[in-house]
Amino acid sequence: MPLLDPGMDLTLRPMRYPDFYERYRAAIRNTWTVEEVDLASDLADLARLTPAELHLVNRLVAFFATGDSIVANNLVLNLYKHVNAPEARLYLSRQLFEEAVHVQFYLTLLDTYLPDQDERARAFAAIEHIPSIRAKAEFCFRWIDSLGALDELRTAADRRAFLLNLICFAACIEGLFFYGAFAYVYWLRSRGLLNGLASGTNWVFRDESMHMEFAFSVVDTVRAEEPELFDAELTAQVTTMLEEAVEAELAFARDLCGDGLPGMGAGDMRAYLEYVADQRLARLGLPVRYGTANPFAFMELQDVQELSNFFERRVSAYQIGVEGSVSFDEAF
Amino acid sequence: MTVTMPAEAPATGGIAAEVAAACAGIEGTAPERVLGAVRSGDGASAAGLRDLAIGEAAALVAVEPGYSRVAARLLAARIRDETAEAGVRSFAGSVAAAHAEGLLADAPAAFAAANAAALDALIDQGADDRFGYFGLRTLYDRYLLRHPRTRLVLERPQHFFLRVAVGLSDTVDEAAELYRLLSTLSYLPSSPTLFNSAARRPQLSSCFLLDSPQDELEAIYERYGQVARLSKYAGGIGISWTRVRSRGSLIRGTNGHSNGIVPWLRTLDASVAAVNQGGRRKGAACVYLEPWHADVEEFLELRDNTGEDARRTHNLNLANWIPDEFMRRVEADATWSLFDPKEVPELTDLWGDAFDDAYRAAEKEGRYVRQIPARKLYGRMMRTLAETGNGWMTFKDAANRACNQTAEPGRTVHLSNLCTEILEVTGEKEAAVCNLGSVNLAAHVSPAGIDWERLRATVRTAVRFLDRTIDRGFYPTPEAETANRKWRPVGLGVMGLADVFFTLRLPFDSAEARELSTRIAEEIALAAYAASADLAEAHGPLPAYAETRTARGQLHIDHFPDAAPTRPAEWDALRARIAEVGLRNSLLIAIAPTATIASITGCYECIEPQVSNLFKRETLSGEFLQINGYLVEDLKSLGLWNDAVREAIKRANGSIQGLVDLPGEMLDLYRTAWELPQKALIDLAAARTPYIDQAHSLNLFMETPTIGKLSSMYAYAWRSGLKTTYYLRSRPATRIAQTTVAAAVCSLENPETCEACQ
Repeated sequence: MPLLDPGMDLTLRPMRYPDFYERYRAAIRNTWTVEEVDLASDLADLARLTPAELHLVNRLVAFFATGDSIVANNLVLNLYKHVNAPEARLYLSRQLFEEAVHVQFYLTLLDTYLPDQDERARAFAAIEHIPSIRAKAEFCFRWIDSLGALDELRTAADRRAFLLNLICFAACIEGLFFYGAFAYVYWLRSRGLLNGLASGTNWVFRDESMHMEFAFSVVDTVRAEEPELFDAELTAQVTTMLEEAVEAELAFARDLCGDGLPGMGAGDMRAYLEYVADQRLARLGLPVRYGTANPFAFMELQDVQELSNFFERRVSAYQIGVEGSVSFDEAF
Repeated sequence: MTVTMPAEAPATGGIAAEVAAACAGIEGTAPERVLGAVRSGDGASAAGLRDLAIGEAAALVAVEPGYSRVAARLLAARIRDETAEAGVRSFAGSVAAAHAEGLLADAPAAFAAANAAALDALIDQGADDRFGYFGLRTLYDRYLLRHPRTRLVLERPQHFFLRVAVGLSDTVDEAAELYRLLSTLSYLPSSPTLFNSAARRPQLSSCFLLDSPQDELEAIYERYGQVARLSKYAGGIGISWTRVRSRGSLIRGTNGHSNGIVPWLRTLDASVAAVNQGGRRKGAACVYLEPWHADVEEFLELRDNTGEDARRTHNLNLANWIPDEFMRRVEADATWSLFDPKEVPELTDLWGDAFDDAYRAAEKEGRYVRQIPARKLYGRMMRTLAETGNGWMTFKDAANRACNQTAEPGRTVHLSNLCTEILEVTGEKEAAVCNLGSVNLAAHVSPAGIDWERLRATVRTAVRFLDRTIDRGFYPTPEAETANRKWRPVGLGVMGLADVFFTLRLPFDSAEARELSTRIAEEIALAAYAASADLAEAHGPLPAYAETRTARGQLHIDHFPDAAPTRPAEWDALRARIAEVGLRNSLLIAIAPTATIASITGCYECIEPQVSNLFKRETLSGEFLQINGYLVEDLKSLGLWNDAVREAIKRANGSIQGLVDLPGEMLDLYRTAWELPQKALIDLAAARTPYIDQAHSLNLFMETPTIGKLSSMYAYAWRSGLKTTYYLRSRPATRIAQTTVAAAVCSLENPETCEACQ
């Protein structure tokens, strides 16, 4: 039975997609909590930002305020309903928890950064009032709604619509909007600013990477089961969708960067977004669209394993869920 | 990996010339590469342009390690400008400016003024060129003195080194001797000495060990106060909690029942977090508990990130202080009894046979709170290690047996310190203190081998100045001062052992590596004891000398009959000399983690293998790439240092084991800590132990820990006679998707066919 066939399958043995189950288990081993993030040093940094930098940070926080809730909503309304394998739904349940932790993290961040009640309310209202944030949200809502009328994926057209929704949230929202936002955080971090935000972002980033990978492995599975769904039209639609996402994110970048900040400007950001969009297309097995190289050397740091010095920041690498029993003759 | 060159107008004038000068003579670097980013920052000030160039050069380190020095040179120029802006142009000027702002004490300031010309002449003008970027950045961000209001740095790196030397010297010659070691990065004292030498409050000690508070309210609160005062001046704290009654114990005064140790440790946790060490680093403490304490299972949960937060301490480090009896019961799969220390207060102060007898007697009399299978508790300890890296395994009997301070009955080592390398006796009125410094082995090795004569000379100087810190230091508490002046312990360690192995091409787990590492430890011990005997001859032995094992004719090495020293004649001569003049210091050797000072010198940390051929450091001053320069040189000589190989190393998270074209010898040499058998690390440590009169901070590494592997490993460590172990390092179960590594699959074997890497 293909993964997208309608229904509420409950059979875990024999397991059809053990890979999804392993992803669920790996995610549990990487549990983190908002209480572990230390935002104390950020407050001192905020006090010494230039007006342009402060504008950027405030806009960024306003985007974060609602971003993960939108992803969680789509997960509940669309993905969970149609991905018909209990092991995949286990992963999605776990992902929903992680989105909740992210929402809590950004709420804590916002409460910490914005002590004024009215400013907090304005940050949440940004989705209505700030055009660059509103445009991104509308892009998301349009794709959430694209499946609204479908209770079951019966036809090939239904399933293509589902794939577009899935790819949109993985490649465009988690994989592009969030990656764009993370780049600002790491740019600030590369200048020694807002280390608390960056350390929490490291964990959010790790989670988002896994969400994206899960979604892409669902795409891979569907492609293996129903290759005929992946036609030229779908390719064209995905490419167009990514182009729209790049433009929406770029409008956001222009709003954030204004006339440009040292080492960060809308021009660099365009190149970065195009580069990331190409990565997503390549991962989906589609032709790249832009052929642009990554302009942000500081992003290279994010790909490299960390070695934390315990006098400084908390080591985030430890595992939850260790197995086995006491023995004295195992190799080590 | 390529970097786009925005098609904007090229940067001109000052910055272009400056970057070109910074690249001069450094192979593989090109000014245009650095200037690419500078162009996109048009409009920034001259200083802003240089900062952009520094950041860009630092980011290119993974492409060409030479850029680390380029970035360092640019940063040195920035520091020069900044000090000039603050009006500082010479060493004497630097000291005068810092003294005027109240940062330095009167005596060293007067000394610097009186000897201005002689001291200025000592400055090695080319010495800054020895720094890599991370090292200089660390100095700049955290070590160099700053003006209290403008925050401009008031000293250049060489001023800083000379100021540290002056703070510990009586004459210009003495200052010259220590400055030469520092400026050549041959030896560095620990961070508190670097921070505070010559300061108004010269707190020079790294570690403080506090005995467990007595089991009463006032004693516990008094201990919080001591912890806070010690933390304020940049010391790491070890503190035992073994004497405090366990949960459910009757409180006579109120006829209620105790809530056990967890609520007290929560308060300690909050207190440690609140005391920020002058903004330069965060306070930190490690709590030690013996595993017969009835709250031990709750203790092991303190760092879990699940469960009730009211029973968690997110800032404290945890260590188990384990008597041999526990390990024997684990091996025999026997029962273990848990006690309330209020009922058996005697156990805390006993070790060896006396502990075993008392423990068994208390057990026979049924004074325990409850009993559990020893293996169940041991398994729980392993789980805590795997899940949090914390719950360090340290061994009470091994720590006491050979300690020079435990000769007299009733004197007990009750705990180790924050980094598990200090083992000293503590008591109610005696807080143990240690002043540390580390020899940079990388500065004493060439492909021809170790320069033993220079190593010995470095050790002799280092010990003299470590001893000096005892008298020059400011002590935040009287308990610390009393103990340190009486016992005069110091901890000389090493860093850069991995550099030695890379330079001499010895795999970490080879017999030759073990032999050399042991020989290094032996030579350092010989030279350090000889230097301490010289000091004893000049100034008299330490006040408590009569209470030491040395005074009874026993050296640390005598507790290890299997040790086979390579220089027996020198040991005999040393023994005879010590019998005659005594020692100035009760303890001399301790190998600390050296995290920050190894960063400054640019060598690998203490005795550790490399963690990765490519990794980043996250510190308070930002993130920095580090790449194994030895490997890059080898790859260059094979013509293999190219984008495809770089990408492959990055994709493999710093491992080169997948690079099939490399010679087997290289694959062996450049294994990471995750790829080495941990048994080899333990064997190296065990072989070194006879020459380490305190201990070493020994991290162990396991990519995917299981209870079975961990329990085998730590039982082996105990059987090997290790006194302590430190973190268990493991790796995340999931990790981020790499952004800057091409998504398409790369064919390593045929890099020329791989489009992704072009």
